[in-house]
Amino acid sequence: MKKRISRRFIVSGLTAVMAVGLLTGCGSSGKSDTIEIGLATPLTGASAQDGQAIENGVELAVKQANDAGGIDGKQIEVVVEDDKGDASEAATVANMLVQNDNIVGVVGHFNSSCTLAGATIYNDAGIVQISPGSSAEAVSEAGDYTFRTITTDAVQGRYLAEWCVNDLGYHNIAVLYENDDYGLGLADVIQRETEALGATVVAREAYEVNQTDFSTVLTKVAASDADVMIIGGLYNETALIAKQMGDNGLEGMQIMGVDAIYSDALIELGGDAVNGIKLTAYFSDASDSEVTQSFIKAYTDEYGEAPGTYAAYAYDAANIILDAVANVGTDRAAIRDYIADLKDFDGVTGITSFDENGDVIKEPLRMEIINGAFETVDM
Amino acid sequence: MFVQQLINGITVGGIYALIALGYTMVYGILKIVNFAHGDVFMIGGFMGLILAQTTNLPIWIAYPLAMLITALIGVLIERICYRPIRLHGADALAILISALGVSIFLENFAQLVWGTETHAYVQKIQRTAYNIAGITLSNIQIGVIVLCIILMIVLYLVVNKTKMGMAMRATSQSITSAQLMGINTEKVIALTFGVGSALACVAGILVGTYYDAVYPLIGYSYGLKAFAAAILGGIGSVPGAMLGGFLLGIVETLGAGYISTGYRDAFAFGILILVLLFRPSGLLGKKHVDKV
Amino acid sequence: MMQKIKKIKKPLAVIGILFLLLFPVIITSSYYLHVMILAGIYVVLSLSLNLITGYTGQLCLGHAAFFGIGAYAGALLMVNVHMNFFFALICSFIISGIFGLLLGIPALRLRGDYLAIVTLGFGEIVHLVFVNWTELTNGPMGIRSIPGPSLFGIELDGNQEFYYLILIITALVLFLLNRLVNSGFGMAMQTIKADEIAAESIGIYPVKYKLIAFILSSGLAGLAGCFYASYISYISPTTFVYNTSVTILAMVVLGGLGSLTGSVIGGVVLTLLPEVLRSISDYRMIFFGALMIIMMIFKPEGFWGVSKRVKNIYKIKAGGAQNERDYESR
Repeated sequence: MKKRISRRFIVSGLTAVMAVGLLTGCGSSGKSDTIEIGLATPLTGASAQDGQAIENGVELAVKQANDAGGIDGKQIEVVVEDDKGDASEAATVANMLVQNDNIVGVVGHFNSSCTLAGATIYNDAGIVQISPGSSAEAVSEAGDYTFRTITTDAVQGRYLAEWCVNDLGYHNIAVLYENDDYGLGLADVIQRETEALGATVVAREAYEVNQTDFSTVLTKVAASDADVMIIGGLYNETALIAKQMGDNGLEGMQIMGVDAIYSDALIELGGDAVNGIKLTAYFSDASDSEVTQSFIKAYTDEYGEAPGTYAAYAYDAANIILDAVANVGTDRAAIRDYIADLKDFDGVTGITSFDENGDVIKEPLRMEIINGAFETVDM
Repeated sequence: MFVQQLINGITVGGIYALIALGYTMVYGILKIVNFAHGDVFMIGGFMGLILAQTTNLPIWIAYPLAMLITALIGVLIERICYRPIRLHGADALAILISALGVSIFLENFAQLVWGTETHAYVQKIQRTAYNIAGITLSNIQIGVIVLCIILMIVLYLVVNKTKMGMAMRATSQSITSAQLMGINTEKVIALTFGVGSALACVAGILVGTYYDAVYPLIGYSYGLKAFAAAILGGIGSVPGAMLGGFLLGIVETLGAGYISTGYRDAFAFGILILVLLFRPSGLLGKKHVDKV
Repeated sequence: MMQKIKKIKKPLAVIGILFLLLFPVIITSSYYLHVMILAGIYVVLSLSLNLITGYTGQLCLGHAAFFGIGAYAGALLMVNVHMNFFFALICSFIISGIFGLLLGIPALRLRGDYLAIVTLGFGEIVHLVFVNWTELTNGPMGIRSIPGPSLFGIELDGNQEFYYLILIITALVLFLLNRLVNSGFGMAMQTIKADEIAAESIGIYPVKYKLIAFILSSGLAGLAGCFYASYISYISPTTFVYNTSVTILAMVVLGGLGSLTGSVIGGVVLTLLPEVLRSISDYRMIFFGALMIIMMIFKPEGFWGVSKRVKNIYKIKAGGAQNERDYESR
């Protein structure tokens, strides 16, 4: 008898807790005095580090807008949801954000798979979604309400290929990429573009995100005739690859990468080993743009570390939504139309305009790591 | 390239073997799979990093201290999260779920405390790479392999030649009979968790030193592979865990090296399934006999 | 007390069913509906896994693989061949079932933890095939624009339609499994779980029963996968990983091994709990882990577990199936 009661007790107790939690956790719908921006980003799981940077970027943009008096006297709030970098969580989070009427637009998601899973829901609900980190080509066709502040892989891949083959004269290319939507998409573009310029991809090897042992892939690169290594992945793995090259007979080989490796974490983690890495990027602390410099200063004051690429993209994404709200109010459809027509938005990642797919068109910078700092270079 | 890949495989295999020992010892005694062991390995790596970095202790004090702390954490996990369920006489699956809970807890605790980023490890040993007949080998790589083998031999001797080891073996055969023989089985179980966790800590420090990285989710893939290695060798058998670890490391490296890097993990699990289909109790495992 | 509970049981059930039927009418928020639909999918998954783990006692750590095979099979059929959702549902049941058979034949020679690791390995390999076989699965980019169900030309792809669809599917699965486990077949399975050799000695051939359980279980997981693909309209390999398998297993064990009610409760609780805990954001998963440990320490048999099932067996032996309702109130 006692057992039965305790079981009943636990079940009913849990039910009660859940009912209360669900109702209070996400109750607020109906218009109020605050303007809310949704943020869907991975705060746990393998991409949590980038997700955190994105959150910092958005929070900073909103804080600055609030300090300047808000929009029409209203304060702005960020509703942060964790999508864990998982497509099905992303759908849950998207559903949660769209049913909140105060939300005027969403910054998110980071992983392309999450952006695509969420896009259906945002587009059905008619709410603007700006991704700060999904560069996969498929996102172009995701819908009218889907935008991004990062360029597609194709833009950067083409630029990097020209730099690598035409200007630097490398013809035997090794491509190392992370085995997910991002890395594979980038690897395909790089292979296509470098081969179009007459170079040969002599090694094309995948690694897993969060892998620590690169000896196998590096040994394979060493056995090929590669004279340059292009990485389709992020800063953590790039730093480890740079550090493990010496142990695997690749001392001194040139590494090249894209904006995904632009992060102080690359230098912190890689130390001396990452000196000499060449990369393309849109955001850089070496930029002479006034907007960029004041962003870097504000970010460093706020969080005690320099911003990386994704913090910058997220900052721009949030500011574009804020700019739209300031100009056309909180009507979701009007915001979408405003953003679709947006021309020459002066952001920290360069001058932003969207094309008919909601993709951004910008010119990348050439950078190199020299003595532990990112510098813009000509070659 | 073949010899080079073989050496790469042995290095990573040695680390799998060290972690696999923790799985296999706990299983041998309690017949449960301690799914939190991969995360204990991660905690061990962080302990080594923190003690060596913040306290500025020399590594020959800092690292043994990290082992001790990790061992204590392992014992505490058993004490708080497994023992009450065990004494309750519940299904082994209940302990498994508790272990999953511990694993989720530790991973997220680590993310909260140390952040989600990858940390560079303290490098107190100067890294030198030697090139012998086209094969590159670093002093740290040699150190990893040698240390793994020494530790495994020591553990083998402890289990088979000492009184404590005898108590362990007795407990693994039957907890009740061991108690009747006057063995303090709870102490033996605590010791098993302690030793397993300390070895996982060594593995964490070795991964940190060799690959120069540690992060909160590092325990996932190493833990999974080490678990596979323990089963491959025959779970419950100490030499089996060593064999399984090295074999798994070599197979996945050669598979990735000669066939496809994308399918790297598939080779490890493929060979595992094949071995189990032909030798259902692993390479060195005892034949399971059904008793009526 | 006994009588009292018995009396209020029926009205409670009616209220419960009414609540479930009217849910989309009362609560229009797409988020709540979405969470309920997900809970429905997970209930089907945990019910199906319970068949292997709870009733035949085979630990399976690769259930997400069957979920994924069903999702990919359904998605590919719907996108490439433009197959109707309902046919795709049946096809993915069959295809997943065939994979269950293929894995089951060799794997069921193994027992306990060895079977667990084989299913785990199978799950990892299937995941890697999803990632690397780009020509078929579109690799890590996943499959987009998977159509919703339609019946006689009427599109049924709103959240409400999906809700009722999964409600019907869950009810059907529950009904069928309930019939199955309370039949002679179910008794045979539980006998095998209790003692395989004794089962053999009274003429129950374990491999046959285990294999059927395996096929049925993987087929149902595949069905859930097909529904998932159509509902989310986008699938990628990241969903069908080891973590998902573990979550489903946790639902089964937390709900109570070998109890259908338990699986339903486990599936619902473990889907809702992380959502409820969203309000404590940073500490969410820490708390979730701690809750799992505490739950196991204080109720190791799960919400609706073993003690009840043991009684169940005696009841049925003594007085047949109609007594089965009685044990609930004791």
